[in-house]
Amino acid sequence: MSLNRPLSPHLSIHKKVLTAAFSIFHRFTGICLSLGAVLLSIWVILIALGPSYYSKFQVISSLSVFKVFLFFWTLTIFYHLYNGIRYLFWSYGKMMELSIVYRSGYVVIILSILSTVLIWISI
Amino acid sequence: MKNYAIKWILQRITAAILIPLTFWFVYQCVLFSSYEYDQIRAFFFSKLNASLYFVLIIAMLYHAKLGNETIVEDYIKSHKIKKITKLFISTLVYISMIITTISLLYMVSP
Repeated sequence: MSLNRPLSPHLSIHKKVLTAAFSIFHRFTGICLSLGAVLLSIWVILIALGPSYYSKFQVISSLSVFKVFLFFWTLTIFYHLYNGIRYLFWSYGKMMELSIVYRSGYVVIILSILSTVLIWISI
Repeated sequence: MKNYAIKWILQRITAAILIPLTFWFVYQCVLFSSYEYDQIRAFFFSKLNASLYFVLIIAMLYHAKLGNETIVEDYIKSHKIKKITKLFISTLVYISMIITTISLLYMVSP
């Protein structure tokens, strides 16, 4: 049982293809967004606790680094959301032809960037 | 086996719930960027906003729990580390759910 074999899905033995990159990135953004969900619950308790506690959050949110962090958070949200919609179609066995998988992948990237830009120019 | 089938379905149900609520919340965040504390506090005083935020966060955290567990199942070999990591994920998720619920209940009460 203790053989040093790679676990499924066997990432290390496959040729690196775009579809695999999309899948890995979906998982990576998912982990990042999970941490974001925990941060949101800290944010909401600071609001509930009152202005003196919320001001501690405002000290961090006024930093320019925080804006960069939020920008990538926005991009991560949209990527995971649009790519997730692809997964929902696949769950029904739809849009699974290879050419459509590639094309919808490009649509995900374009929509993610456009949505993020739209959000940040409207702030 | 049946347990995993239910999890698979729940992952997709929470995903479907999250799609409209994410757009709603990102839009609200654009507004929040110019809000003072009192305005954000007033936002959560609204029962509709608090309810939507509640559903968003609970669905998000549960979706995150299912997703992270899948990743743990796939990539962690050691049975012991797998168990500990899953326990860590569950604890973090449930604590966040409790914090959010209590905060929202407190904010909607007059």
